Formats: sequence, C-alpha cells, structure tokens
Amino acid sequence: MLNLFSGLTRGSMYALIALGYTLVYGVLQLINFAHSEVFMSGAFASFIVVNALVGENQIPGWVVPLIFLAGLLSGGLAGASVAWGLERIAYRALRRRGAPKLAFLISAIGMSFLLSALAGKLFNRYTNNQFPDYFNKDAVVFTVFGAEIRLIQVIIIFGAIIMMVFLDRLVSGTKLGKSIRGVAEDAPTAALMGINIDKTISRTFVIGGALGGAAGFLYGTAFVFSNTMGFLPGVKAFAAAVLGGIGNIRGAMIGGLLLGIIEVLIPALPFIGTKWTDVVAFVVLVMVLVLRPTGILGEKLGRAA
Amino acid sequence: MRSSSLAKFAAIAAVGALALAACSNSTSDAKSSSSAAPAASSSSSSAAPAASSDAATSETSSAAGGASNSDTVYKIGFQGPLSGDNQQLGINESNGVELAVEQANASGDLGFTLELVKSDDVGLPDKSPAAAATLIQDTGVVGVVGPAFSGSTKAVGATYSAANLALISPSATNATLTTSGFTAFHRIVPTDAVESAGTAKWLAKTVKSVFIVDDLSDYGKGAADELEKGLKSAGIKTQREGVDAKTTDYSAIAQKVATSGDEALFYGGYDAQVSLFARALKSAGYKGVTVTGNGGKSSVFTEGAGDAGDGWYFSCGCLDATTAPAAKDFEAAYVKKYNQPSSTYSPEAYDAANAMISVIKDLAAKGEVTREDVMAGVKALDYKGITTQVKFTESGEVEAATINLYRQEKGVINLLGDMKDQ
Repeated sequence: MLNLFSGLTRGSMYALIALGYTLVYGVLQLINFAHSEVFMSGAFASFIVVNALVGENQIPGWVVPLIFLAGLLSGGLAGASVAWGLERIAYRALRRRGAPKLAFLISAIGMSFLLSALAGKLFNRYTNNQFPDYFNKDAVVFTVFGAEIRLIQVIIIFGAIIMMVFLDRLVSGTKLGKSIRGVAEDAPTAALMGINIDKTISRTFVIGGALGGAAGFLYGTAFVFSNTMGFLPGVKAFAAAVLGGIGNIRGAMIGGLLLGIIEVLIPALPFIGTKWTDVVAFVVLVMVLVLRPTGILGEKLGRAA
Repeated sequence: MRSSSLAKFAAIAAVGALALAACSNSTSDAKSSSSAAPAASSSSSSAAPAASSDAATSETSSAAGGASNSDTVYKIGFQGPLSGDNQQLGINESNGVELAVEQANASGDLGFTLELVKSDDVGLPDKSPAAAATLIQDTGVVGVVGPAFSGSTKAVGATYSAANLALISPSATNATLTTSGFTAFHRIVPTDAVESAGTAKWLAKTVKSVFIVDDLSDYGKGAADELEKGLKSAGIKTQREGVDAKTTDYSAIAQKVATSGDEALFYGGYDAQVSLFARALKSAGYKGVTVTGNGGKSSVFTEGAGDAGDGWYFSCGCLDATTAPAAKDFEAAYVKKYNQPSSTYSPEAYDAANAMISVIKDLAAKGEVTREDVMAGVKALDYKGITTQVKFTESGEVEAATINLYRQEKGVINLLGDMKDQ
C-alpha cells in the first residue's frame, strides 16, 4: 500500500514532465529532448528563491505555504522561460529553413548537454543539493491500511493533479487550447484559418516548460537536485509519454502515473531487487513500442484532449 | 576576442609571477640549500627552465654575496576527487598533503624545493586515467599520494606501475588492489576486508540479523561482500540489496529495510549517498542499528543527513586527528592553515606525504632522485607517522592495522575507540 503511494508520487512527477514532451510532440511532431533540462532549471531557480526567502531563519508556520507557492511559481517561471528560449534558439530557425526532423533532434540533444553543463558551471556539480528544511516533509498526514502517508507525497500528488486538470481544461476549453489543437491536427490548414503558428508553438513550449519547471521544484523538494538530475527522469517521462500515447495529454498523465507505480512495485517483488528499478522503465518502453506503438490512448493531441 | 586576449594577458602575468616567485625563492633559500646545489636538475619539469634561468640571472646579480644555487625542484603528485560528489574526501586529503609539503619546504633542510601537483579524478574510474596521465607525463613528479578511491586506483594501478611511479594511497581500501599485481601501489590504511571483518565481529556481538545494502561500486560492493562473509560465518542472518549510486529516491529501499525486521543495517558506499539513505530510513521509521564504512564518514554525511544521521556508526581504519594525542601538532597546523578542523583521511594523507618526502629527501642527499629510486625507497620505508608506522608488506599493505569505531551524536562524529574493544 505504501509502495503504491510512493509509486504515485514518482508517477505524478513523471506525468508532469511527460506533458512537456507530449505537448511539443503534438504540435511539432518532434521530441524535445532538452525538456529534461527545463525540468532541471526549475529546480535550481526555485532553490535560489526559496533559499533567499528561508535561509537560516526559523519560519513561522503560516508562511510555509507561501514559500512553497513561491518555489512552485519560480520553478514554473524558470521552466517556461527556458523552454521559450529553447524554442527561439534551437528550433525556430530550423523550422523556418524547413530542416529535416533529424536536425531538430540533434539540436535538442545539443541544447540538453549545453544547459546541463552550463548549470554545473553556474551553480555546482554536486549530485545531492537539498532545499532548506523549512517544513517537516515527513510529517504523517494520514494512515491507509497501516501505511503512513507523508506530507510531501500528498503535496506532490495533489499538486500534480491540480496542474494536470488545469492543463486539460486549458487545452480542451480555451481559445489558446483550440489553436494548439488546431496546429496539432493540421498546421497549414490552421494557418489558413488565421491561427498564428509561431505564436501557438511558442506558447505550447511555455506551457510545457512551466509544468516541467514546477515538477523540478517538486522533485527537488522531495529528493535532491543537481545539474544532471534531468536526464533519468526526462528519459523516463519520455517513456511514460510513449506508454500513454505520445501527443496525447491524458495519455501522458496516465502513462506517467502508471510508470511510477510499475517502477516501485516490480523491483519490490522477490528475486528482482531494487537495483533493477531503472531497468523496469526501459523494459516498459520497449514493450510498448513492440506491442502497441501508439500507446494506451493513441496519439492524437487534437482528438483525445 | 576579448576573452582570448584577456587569457593571453593572464598567461603572461602568470609566467611573470612564477618567474618572480622562483627568483625570490632561489635567493631566500640560498643559504639553506647551498649543499644541494650540485644536484643536477635532471627532472626537466615545466617550471625548471624559467626557474633555472632566473636563478642564473640572480646569480650574476648577487655574485658578490656568493651564496646562490640552481634550485632543484622535485614534485609530489596527488590524485583524488577535487570536484564532484565525493570531493570532500579528496579535499581533506589534498589539504593534508599540501600541509606536509609546505612544512617540508619551510623546514629549510630539504636541499631542494618540493612542489605539489594536484590531479582531479572526480573519484570516478572513468576520469582516473586522464588524471593519472597528467602526473605520469610530468617528468618532475617522482612520487604520488593517492589515488584516493578504490575504483580509480583499479583503473590506473597498472599504468602507474608501468611508469615506475610509486603510489601511497591514504584511503583506497578495496582488498583486491594489493593482489592485482600493481607494483607501484601501497596504502597506509587497512583494507575493507580487515575493516568489514572487524565490523562483522562487532555486529555479531549485539544483533541477530543484518540488512546489507551496497552502492554497486568497487568500494561499496567490496566492503559489503566482506561483511556478508564475516556475518555468515558468525551465523548471523543476512539479506542483500544493491542500489545504484546515482539514486536520489531511497524511499522504496528504506521501506524494504524498515519492514524487513532486521536488527541492523549496513550500507557500503560513499558519504553523499549514505546521507540520503539515512534520511529515507528515518522517514521510513527504521529503528535498528545503522552502520557504514570509512567511505561514509565525513562532514558531507553529517550535513546531508541532518539529524537523521544521529546514531549512525562508522568503521574506519583512520584516525580522528581532532582527538588523537599523537596528531596534536598536525591538528594545530591544519586549523591554522585551513580555518577548520581536519577531517577523515587528512592525517593519513599527511603521513603518506611525509613518508614520501622522507624517501625523496634521503635520495636527494645522495644525489639524483629518480622514480625507480623512489619506488625502491617506498618499499623499504619505515617511517613513524602520526596515524601509524608507515611500513609496507611485500604486497604494499601497511603492517599495522587498527580499525576504529565512530558514532554520530547530535551532528558530531565521535571516536568510540578500537573496534575490537567495543
């Protein structure tokens, strides 16, 4: 039972990151492999903000939620601006020139390395930076069938769900969402209908980046963060996006949650062991690609959302 | 453009500064090192041309004084992590070596100038060959303190041996290092086999079941293997898990340990990771005895784990210089230089460096210092250090071996004493 919750915690984080992959794939049909560094940048930016607010001080209880919110917002903001910059620098020029898909992929991977190395240079290269302890993350909130559920798990799961519902509403209910779906469905036709494609793509990056950056803050709060933290969760979130059906927003959410749970439950079985945790995600990725390449929900952003 | 011209300027300034430094050295040391003046500077170090040419000019200018010499420079290398996760252990050591070198130079009876060349291997086996190459290619380097880590040593032991460059490691404790045919390798701390056997004996006195976790590294796995062997032969129930050292989320494994009901937990791995594990174990509510080896005992653990680190035990074939009486002078000098107390492996590195220096000094008094001679000298060492008697067996193992037990209480790691007595 407890494992299920710790799986949900991981899974909701994968889901948040996976949304970034899936949104961009939806509108551009390309995998933005630099998204894992968007996630990382959110963790560092929110650390700077939270650390400036908290420092060594004793924080009164009522300020804690505000600091948490400030962290979440700064993470999201940093993620959004990095994603926006990425689109401007690494993709837009290529798109204007009608470059082949491979060029986008190379550009993405290059930006990913660049950003990770840059963060290492700017901040540090430790792999276990921690946020200041400004609240008791391990406080037990409630107990389900003898399993103690901790505050940080509740925050992450609920935070992720709120953000995902918000995104789902945004894409299916608003004008911006309509234009994103339009571009995803058929970009040239959407352009003929008066949708500004460049603007829509840029905004899609910003939305995905904001979610990824916020996920970076949540991840850093729950565990530790570093300049190389993005790689593994990034690849796993990609696997999650594929599992749910890449390009499909609800699919990314389901895929993320599912992968998190699988990842925690399978290694706990006898004869497998914790050291296989990372292998599980990739086995899932391969199985999905072999058995059902379109994922659980299929791959149309335009229809499913 | 601007940065490159800046770099050029910096380079010129650096060369100028070096030349000035060499010049001032050669005049100030003139009195003390005049006896060693004939020693040819055959070790063609990169700094040697500048130093000798400056010495030459200073000779002409100070000819009236008549007390000048060509300043011979011998270099000691240090290889260990100076960046990355485990940098604290490497910095502890490089500080110890640096202090030894500084004191030797200040003592004025060397007859040559000693220089320290630090080479950063990040503590990783894949970065180790490049770090070793830097030292091996610098022909001025006649001996090396390090490598600090077992994995790094395994990766380059053969290279150093082929280059005839003697190694004295203050901390590489994997048992197989001295049985792999690395002729250059020596260490002044007992192996993980000895340490883990001690830990196993100590644990067997108080608990009936032990959960063993390792980080799958050469050091962590080796330490855990030896512990498991020791516990099994003592009839203690064990179970084993491996967790990759890149893991950030220890909640699943901590949960498994907590529900296992085992009375003790041993983690084989390094400080940064064990501190995360300690936190996770605390939140999982594990109440058993928690132990780790020498790789976990450092300020990184104390800071990273916070109050979750209280109660953890550490085994270490190392000396805590903040409390040991033999290390009083060392500790005072260390605090004076670095503004902080020495930490894990600083005294050992200091001893390793001093032992190496004593070899070079003896050789320099007789004439030329070559790598081959230093190697032979290290093998024949019998030097009384502050941590131990530095004397090696045939295979490069230190003859004296004491394992100490430590425990963290209220954020401070205290020495409890020799493990055998606990």
